Amino acid sequence: MVLHLQHVSFEYVAENGFSIRDVSLTVERGSLTGLLGPNGCGKTTLLKLMAGVLRPGQGTITFAGGVLDDIPRRALARHIAVVPQETHPAFDYRVIEMVLMGRHPHLGPFALEGPGDLAIAHDALRATGTAHLASRSYMSLSGGEKQRVVIASALAQQPDVLLLDEPTASLDLAYQLEVAALLARLNHERGVTIVVATHDLNLAASICRTLVLVRGGRVLAQGATETVLNGDTIRQLYDVDADVRFHDRSGHLTVVPIGRIP
Amino acid sequence: MVALVAAGALQGSSYHDDVHSAVGAGRQASANERPASRIVSLVPALTEMLFAIGAGSQVVAVSSYDDYPPETKRLARVGALLDPDVERILALRPDLVLTYGSQDALEAQLTRAGIRAFSYRHGGLDTLFRTLTDLGGVTGRTMEAARTADGIRRQLDAIRARVAGRPRPRVLLVFGREPQSLRQLYVSGGVGFLHEMIEIAGGTNVFADIRRESAQPSSETLLARAPAVILEIHEARTIAGADAARERATWAPFAAIPAVRNGRIHFLNGTYFTVPGPRVGLATEVFARTLHPEAFR
Amino acid sequence: MTSSTVATAVDGGLRPIRLRLALTLVGYGTLALLACVLAPLVGSTSISLSRVFDRSIPFADNVDAQIFFLARLPRVLAGATVGAMLASAGVVLQALLRNPLATPFTLGVSSGAALGAVLAITGGATAGLGPLSPVPLSSLAVACLVSAIIYALASRPGRPMSTNVLLLAGVTLNAFISALILLVQYFADFAETYRMLRWLMGDLDVGGFLPIVTVLPLFVVACVLFATLPSSLNLLSVGTETATTRGVSVARTQRLAFVSTALATSAAVTVAGPIGFVGIVVPHLVRLMTGVDHRIVLPASALFGAAFLVGCDLVARTVLAPVELPVGVVTAIIGGPFFLWLLVRRA
Repeated sequence: MVLHLQHVSFEYVAENGFSIRDVSLTVERGSLTGLLGPNGCGKTTLLKLMAGVLRPGQGTITFAGGVLDDIPRRALARHIAVVPQETHPAFDYRVIEMVLMGRHPHLGPFALEGPGDLAIAHDALRATGTAHLASRSYMSLSGGEKQRVVIASALAQQPDVLLLDEPTASLDLAYQLEVAALLARLNHERGVTIVVATHDLNLAASICRTLVLVRGGRVLAQGATETVLNGDTIRQLYDVDADVRFHDRSGHLTVVPIGRIP
Repeated sequence: MVALVAAGALQGSSYHDDVHSAVGAGRQASANERPASRIVSLVPALTEMLFAIGAGSQVVAVSSYDDYPPETKRLARVGALLDPDVERILALRPDLVLTYGSQDALEAQLTRAGIRAFSYRHGGLDTLFRTLTDLGGVTGRTMEAARTADGIRRQLDAIRARVAGRPRPRVLLVFGREPQSLRQLYVSGGVGFLHEMIEIAGGTNVFADIRRESAQPSSETLLARAPAVILEIHEARTIAGADAARERATWAPFAAIPAVRNGRIHFLNGTYFTVPGPRVGLATEVFARTLHPEAFR
Repeated sequence: MTSSTVATAVDGGLRPIRLRLALTLVGYGTLALLACVLAPLVGSTSISLSRVFDRSIPFADNVDAQIFFLARLPRVLAGATVGAMLASAGVVLQALLRNPLATPFTLGVSSGAALGAVLAITGGATAGLGPLSPVPLSSLAVACLVSAIIYALASRPGRPMSTNVLLLAGVTLNAFISALILLVQYFADFAETYRMLRWLMGDLDVGGFLPIVTVLPLFVVACVLFATLPSSLNLLSVGTETATTRGVSVARTQRLAFVSTALATSAAVTVAGPIGFVGIVVPHLVRLMTGVDHRIVLPASALFGAAFLVGCDLVARTVLAPVELPVGVVTAIIGGPFFLWLLVRRA
């Protein structure tokens, strides 16, 4: 499944100007792509466009060869799942209930899940290391646990494409690494295509093989991480002087910020 | 009907004591002062009494709800129970204002302005007669008041005589309900002038045991009491023809009630039923004619 | 995923949904049925059950049977349907507004109905429409009008409704209409004011089956719409965008939720006046017992709401017999402290 944006522009409110301008990018099947950029650059908007939540004002988005807009919502949900930055349910659902909600696009008209759905949900919980939390109340969990549960509920959709918005933003270091490892595993072992929107340079450097650098609603650069992630692009993106080096022990690039560029 | 519901809603069973105190105030006024010549009446029943005893010319203003006798139509209006227009009342420079017993604030203002207030509360027929006497006193028309009272008494006695000895049907007296609905009926309880009128007219009030002027029975209670005759008083609009047929049909689901089954639902149109004034004899006679038509042939 | 792994999985401590749904329907259904069967037997007038069903006595002479079939049974059925509707509307509205403190009256429907009733009472309206007498008719009409206004305010074509606008519009209209009602009451005479106040307290003594039958189409449509919502409401209450990405048509779900709630609440208020607290007490009580999955909570609340209101009405008409309390007073006395406890618990 390939996600393809062609000259896409989008504006939230008519007078405020476009928040996404003339963006063209391709998400290849099986890739682990990072959308990198400062806050407000349009990463979240791009993710929502890719998920079909927002409609482009100009340009086209295609998925698996067909126009994204034309695909019925329920069918699309069986292929693309989204992990939002924050999830605040209005009621006190249990973890297992949250995860089972991910089965919705696969259920019949009465939307009552069966043993098969339950198995898939447990599988998802296990994959995110949260199986022991199944009967707990979601609201009682820590930030890291909540995030992993939300990822599990997205996995329960059995998607081909997983879109995540700042998945590590509110997590402790240990959980950041865990989520990163989880995403890498999902991508390598299960072949899930992953797009991660983040402003965390090192997260992007550690797991993303492809990067799309976004600033002011435009694509600054896109391509293989080694090519795209360097001092110049980081300066253009963040107005920050940084060193990008290959780190032997971790096995991937690391970014060390030096100082602000006035 | 306004005041009736007000009385029913506001009072407990101690209205007799209140009437006595009001009467006391009235009597004292007549002993020491000149007859009132500029009277403002907020109570339609009292207005009717004033005109009946020949004191109509002494009345300068009436309430918004007064419409009898016809002479009142030319008089100034000063509001009623809930909204008396104090400024207007004072501007008329009255020497006597007839108020409801619950209008404490108004009475306080009148007293401060040095104006005599005559406070009245609804009661039974004995209240009516006592009030007539008191009004006669304050207007200097004691003879006419006595004559009027006697006239009413004679009327009532005549009715009693006519229906004496006849079997007394169980009567439900409805004085308020919503059109086309039997929910929230207002019926006469076992206290007050309406109840006494039924008894004089030769009927037995099915709610005679309720020690209140009005009651709101549930469907269950209506079925349990099983009245033989239903009298519906309609003041605001005349119920006749198609309206009557429709309102009669509203009772149809309760065809099990004897009154409904036997077609003894009577609509009584007129404004004099719920005003406990000089026309009470007329009203009682209408009741009696409805309950015992054969006694009046 | 092997079947043995499935068998040993704890299911998160929850039994499968199908089983839970079946148990819920049976359990709460029995409760509602019991309430409806037992309530007509009790009342301010004592009747004998054997006499009620004694066929040898002609109906016209059988006061016990008359009371049972003409007064109590319609009243119990009215209580059951109104209770079910108000409780369901409460559940759906709480999900729609993502606020567990919402009630069926939050969106102005009941104050609209009250305004309609008040206008009919003071206007001296006399003509009804078919079996509907003026006050319920006017009440239904204005309630629908207010719902339409709020719907129009909150609707954004092609996009999900703004729940903020819904809530604000509802609260504002409630306040505005309350002021209008006060104004009308000020100009009314005492009798009319008293009648208005009594209407506002709610009254299940419908006097026959006709008032219920008349609004039955509205109830049925509302129920059909309610049945399509629970799963979508679950997803919606987690987040509108998340719901979209799981295949829920958010705009459509919101509209269905709004329309079904408005229909159910308008119909309930038309039959029995605005009876408060049912729409908030019942859903919360049910959630305490069954968890928060709307597929369970909605049918359970409908059934429990029926039993609850029938029970409150039973208390209302027997506790101070022969005087009858308005049922709204009883639900308020039970519901008020419960609501406060809820607020304190959440704090």
